[in-house]
Amino acid sequence: MKKNLTRYRSIWIALGFGISVLGCSSPEPVPALPDQVDFNYHIRPILSNSCYVCHGPDISTREADLRLDTYAGATARRPDGRAIIPGSPKRSLLIQRIQADDPEKRMPPPQLNKTLTGYEIALISKWIDRGAEYKTHWALIPPQKTGGNRSIDEHLQEKFAEKQVTPAGPASRSSLIRRASYVLTGLPPSPGSVQAFERAESPDAYARVIDSLLASDAYGERWARHWMDLVRYSESRGHEFDFTIQGAWQYRDYLIRAFNEDVPYDQFILEHLAGDLLKNPRRNPDYGFNESVIGTAHFALGEGKHSPVDTRIDEADRIDNIIDVTTKTFQSLTVACARCHDHKFDPIPTRDYYSLYGIIESARFTPVPILSDDYLESVETLIHLNQTLRSEIARNWQSSMKTTPAVAVSQVNASLPIVPDTTGDWEFLGDFRHGTRGGWIPDGVAFRDAPLHGAPLIMEERLLQVTQGVASSRQISEGLPGALRSPTFKLDHDSITVMAKGYKSALRLVIDNFQLIRAPIHGALDQELSSDALRPYQFDVSLWKGHKAYLELLVGTYDKNRFVTDQHMLTVSDSSYFEIAYAIAYNDTAPSLPGTDYQNTPLGPAINAWAAEKASVAQISAINHALESGQLQRPSVGALIHRRKQITQRMPLAEFVTGMTEGDQVNSAVFGRGNYKTPVGEPVPHGFFTALDTAGAPFTKTSSGRLEFAEAIIDPANPLTARVMVNRLWHHAFGRGIVETVDNFGAQGSLPTHPELLDELALHFMESGWSIKSSLREILLSNAFQRSSGPPAGILQVDPSNLLLSHYPVRRLEAEAIRDGILAVSGQLNPAMYGPPVPIHLTDFMKGRGRPATSGPLDGDGRRSLYIAIRRNFLSPMMLSFDMPIPFSAFGARNSSNVPAQSLTMLNDSFIAEQARHWAEHLVNQQHLELKDRIVHIYLKAFARLPDSNELLEAESFLNTEAEESGLRPEHVMDSVEIWAAYCHVIFNQKEFIYLI
Amino acid sequence: MSGPHRLTCRMTRREMLTMCRNGFGGVALLGLMGSSAFGNMVAQVALPETNPLHPRPGGLIPKARSIIFLYMDGGVSQVDSFDPKPRLARENGENPYDKFAVDATQFNSIGKILQSPWEFRRYGESGIEVSDLFPHVGQCVDDLAVVRSMVADFPEHTNANYFLHTGIGIQGRPSMGAWINYGLGSENQDLPGYVVLDGGLIPPGGLDNFNSGFLPAAYQGSIFRAGDLPLPNIEPQEPTSDLQRRKLNLMSRTDRHLLGRIGHADHVESAITNYELAYRMQASVPELTDLSGETEATKKLYGMDSSDPNTRIYAAECLLARRLVERGVRFIELTCPNVAADRWDQHSNLKEGHELNAHAVDQPIAGLIRDLKSRGLFEDTLIVWAGEFGRTPFAQGTNGRDHNPSAFSIWLAGAGIKGGTIYGATDAYGYRVTDRETTIHDLHATILYLLGLEHEHLTYRFSGRDIRLTDVGGNVIQGILS
Repeated sequence: MKKNLTRYRSIWIALGFGISVLGCSSPEPVPALPDQVDFNYHIRPILSNSCYVCHGPDISTREADLRLDTYAGATARRPDGRAIIPGSPKRSLLIQRIQADDPEKRMPPPQLNKTLTGYEIALISKWIDRGAEYKTHWALIPPQKTGGNRSIDEHLQEKFAEKQVTPAGPASRSSLIRRASYVLTGLPPSPGSVQAFERAESPDAYARVIDSLLASDAYGERWARHWMDLVRYSESRGHEFDFTIQGAWQYRDYLIRAFNEDVPYDQFILEHLAGDLLKNPRRNPDYGFNESVIGTAHFALGEGKHSPVDTRIDEADRIDNIIDVTTKTFQSLTVACARCHDHKFDPIPTRDYYSLYGIIESARFTPVPILSDDYLESVETLIHLNQTLRSEIARNWQSSMKTTPAVAVSQVNASLPIVPDTTGDWEFLGDFRHGTRGGWIPDGVAFRDAPLHGAPLIMEERLLQVTQGVASSRQISEGLPGALRSPTFKLDHDSITVMAKGYKSALRLVIDNFQLIRAPIHGALDQELSSDALRPYQFDVSLWKGHKAYLELLVGTYDKNRFVTDQHMLTVSDSSYFEIAYAIAYNDTAPSLPGTDYQNTPLGPAINAWAAEKASVAQISAINHALESGQLQRPSVGALIHRRKQITQRMPLAEFVTGMTEGDQVNSAVFGRGNYKTPVGEPVPHGFFTALDTAGAPFTKTSSGRLEFAEAIIDPANPLTARVMVNRLWHHAFGRGIVETVDNFGAQGSLPTHPELLDELALHFMESGWSIKSSLREILLSNAFQRSSGPPAGILQVDPSNLLLSHYPVRRLEAEAIRDGILAVSGQLNPAMYGPPVPIHLTDFMKGRGRPATSGPLDGDGRRSLYIAIRRNFLSPMMLSFDMPIPFSAFGARNSSNVPAQSLTMLNDSFIAEQARHWAEHLVNQQHLELKDRIVHIYLKAFARLPDSNELLEAESFLNTEAEESGLRPEHVMDSVEIWAAYCHVIFNQKEFIYLI
Repeated sequence: MSGPHRLTCRMTRREMLTMCRNGFGGVALLGLMGSSAFGNMVAQVALPETNPLHPRPGGLIPKARSIIFLYMDGGVSQVDSFDPKPRLARENGENPYDKFAVDATQFNSIGKILQSPWEFRRYGESGIEVSDLFPHVGQCVDDLAVVRSMVADFPEHTNANYFLHTGIGIQGRPSMGAWINYGLGSENQDLPGYVVLDGGLIPPGGLDNFNSGFLPAAYQGSIFRAGDLPLPNIEPQEPTSDLQRRKLNLMSRTDRHLLGRIGHADHVESAITNYELAYRMQASVPELTDLSGETEATKKLYGMDSSDPNTRIYAAECLLARRLVERGVRFIELTCPNVAADRWDQHSNLKEGHELNAHAVDQPIAGLIRDLKSRGLFEDTLIVWAGEFGRTPFAQGTNGRDHNPSAFSIWLAGAGIKGGTIYGATDAYGYRVTDRETTIHDLHATILYLLGLEHEHLTYRFSGRDIRLTDVGGNVIQGILS
């Protein structure tokens, strides 16, 4: 392996330069072949592009039983010879067929529309001649350090030397600070910082600029937005009614904090994939809430289908989107290509896809409450008060029993309603009458490791009874967020009845993980509990027989009944709670459930056990019976209840973010052609990608597998994770990754221009403790980043695409940076961070179902663009025209298109004009500046540089002409907002304003 | 690129930049030539080959130059329009479960067999039956090829809309108008190549039905509204056009100065050129939508004098569609007016809702066909009339129909289409296809074929795959071609 790696140092240079311009029939001479022909760098790209569709990893479309992606396949004996005979190109059938004159025989066949060039054929011949050595795909070999430690510039210099290129000199300081400021913060530098940097003499002045930018709040905002492109960030679900994704913005804020705090990237990944499962979640330093769990929200940011006719197809589509986004984001692998067939180019079989499918299928989406330290402390106090309450009541009872005999109680438990007897077939889905949970999973602060029964129920400051025969969400208090979920089961009866009670809480049947439960088809699957006595809640599930499902009781209710609304959110009231006795599934009519008979239970020990939270079901029953019969009094506990109230009144209602929680393990079979109706073979066990040789934590037969999956991704032996991330950082620093296809490191992706540099950066990244800031610092402190953007003489002939980075690539700023830059320059930028999104400004062109009831402000309250609402069906026209991606898949690299809507926006949009006017008003108020100084100030703000004499003349002449046109005397120019607004508008419209130079 | 309506003024990029150096006056002059000296013609400027909308041949010999897609949002009932089923009348009120297997539907409120409230009559030489919903279109039936055997993959609006528009039932894929402009470029550089005329209804799934997905933004649909300002930001902010030109001149000089400083930067040059186009669009778009030059007879033909305001809206859309065809715009989609009874989505009150929707579009569509024919544009223009799925032959509740993706009717007319054709068939109830099942991919393959594009070769690499409008399916519907 080591040998291979040292080899690609010398051969890489042949690629990327000039290969593509040569055609088979071209009369131009074929360029010289490289000395060493390498499978990864020369041969696989050709085979993958032209041959693998029929002769690659996917068996379902393989032709002639020939595969060319493995040595064994390519050299196997066939009736007519061998496709490849190492050392003998002439005898290799592959060469014969790709050179055949007979169009019937020539490969690739004409319908494929691919033609091999003479150069490509020569390369393959030479490779076969030298032994046809196959190699593991470059990205699957772990990064290694070759040739000792070298800096970024030493790596680049090596290629300059080979190509005899002299790189450009350093950029001007003004260019540099503007460049660094936009790259790191997405905002222009202030005139003060530009001038300070221009004046600074210290040798580490530039490093200090970088450090201060990295330390600014704006850094996290900038890099959060980059990350949002990857996870198809949206605050609504699109589809027909564009329902809100509850708490999506909390995830946006989580990203900002995580980037600003430089949370190690491996931790960041763990939180994204399994933040709900971490033993020691990261807590917010200011408020103490669990940060880690918010990372899982990215799973929920996909499209949400309104009222799917087939919930299984819907589930498959949602999981497919999650697989697509997750594998591209963290591994730059296009695993979603293996949904219907083995991957056509990469070693990713459909089994890998369905293994991951099962992992995602095992998880459950749920609103996760964001609870501060204060809140959790209050919960602890409530628990403590409840214990005091119990001991006080117990003491009271014990003292009264000294005077009355401690009667043993014999009682048939009559507190549960008896349902009519039938002999039809039925089964329990859950039964809480006897103090056990039977596999149901409690979630949230409402539940804790206490017995299911025995919570004191208080009415008018007196003990009414203690809870019995139910699982209750108000063991501690009403209004605390919590959920109780059944294990996953198969719907094989027509009806389900749940014996429950509660207030402003939801009882839901979640079929195929379908959560957006609403009319017309599914409305009855989400029932609101509003009864203070147990009663049966019935579900007709005959439509979904055979589907998998789980029951879910939630403290709080979904707003699901209004149709034209952007709401589908869980809200809790301070009196919300639920209690459940049992759940049964049956056909025809519900069965009768036998009552429970508790034999003579001594009351004294029962009271002691209850006070210590250790009472058995029979003991609880005895206490309740004694309360009923008057044998035990109902002591007044007014003082304690008053204290409890004081606490609960202080507690805010929980807010939620849609995240994930653990379900039980589900395994999926491979779906034939991606269709769940045609499963193939046995369910696939959970596991990691077979082509990646990482140890990770072993997958078990019981857990949901998400944590194990996350650990396999952050395993230092994973060859992709670190490379993929440093390549993303490089991409944002230079506008192009070392691997240009940032989201695809597979065979159809591009090859690294500087493979050893990529490896070394990846290793540094891991050695630094996965610090994104350190890696960025390393990249931005390189000479490469500090180079002038002027191309050195003659470079266009040698390296027209600037793959060598002989000069800094000029590029257009992103949509958000353009808008934020305008606000920063006009003085209207509102520095507020975080919080619910500012509603999107709606134009008359933005119509359709789910349109928000009111339009947001034209200027978005001056907030940075990432705080403006991102609603799938109502995306900002300005952001879209400047290539903000539509949130449906991972976009590590944006387009940089050039469409008239961009010019029309900058020229005619009222937002731009309004900002020009604001800027002009500021300028006109700065009376102490002379005209020339004002222009200097404008240039410093907008372009971080001084105007040259020509630009000053142009400006003055424009201003004077405008004065003339509007009949103003020259001395009044300085006071004219109109004229300065016109000039500022021109400044916004200059290309320099929207380009990084 | 034929026809007397176009003035072509081919320029190289170098010339273009030279003109740019002379300031916007030069461009303004061109605009002037377009608007006065040459009637309603707009100056054509050939942009550089790198321009994504540069016109290019498609590989096959094209039959059509432009497409008008009459999108029937909501799903027209086939058994009430182009697929007569007398058996529904005979068995009206009977239980569908006694007749055939019933699929789950969007509302799962399965009622009884429901006869069509409308009579069907035979029209033209071909004698094709059309219901009384479409008396005007019926008159044109000899120009139509009716496909009665369409199937869709999705019973939900949004997925079905995405599928019809983009070939995939999820958000984020390029719409067919974007694919076509990607494949062929545009013949008019002063207007977008893909125009959506908004009649009032934006379909479920929203504007993403018209987007360019992963294709460059240059190909995305531009939504034109009715009224004075059909496009966003088409009206200059400045009180006088002189002021805007002075500003543009200053921009152009300073931008040129920038190019001098930074040297070779193709994309900056393109961005500068882009302002020229934007500037011209400020004139060409209002000129396009100004219908004052149309004769009363023409307006009447389309139904612009109708007492039904929705007919007037759709008439204006159809007339505008013709004007866009004249200007070489490649793909024009019309959305339906918002009649009082929602889109063609009659889950209840079928009779009232379908009647209102049909009345809005019937006469304008017939007018469009006749007008295109009289101007010699019909044989260059493909008209496609389709919704996203059909409706059930049994009632939803008592008087509505639910979604039915298993059978529906569409029609095509114009370039390359054999008029007076019926293609495919459904069962006795119009519930399922029995003959020559035709998919949305087949429709897309046919549209591309007629434009000169081989659907299997029109690919774009995204996510490591060469993706097609027709995904992994699609056969040209040979039986409807002339």
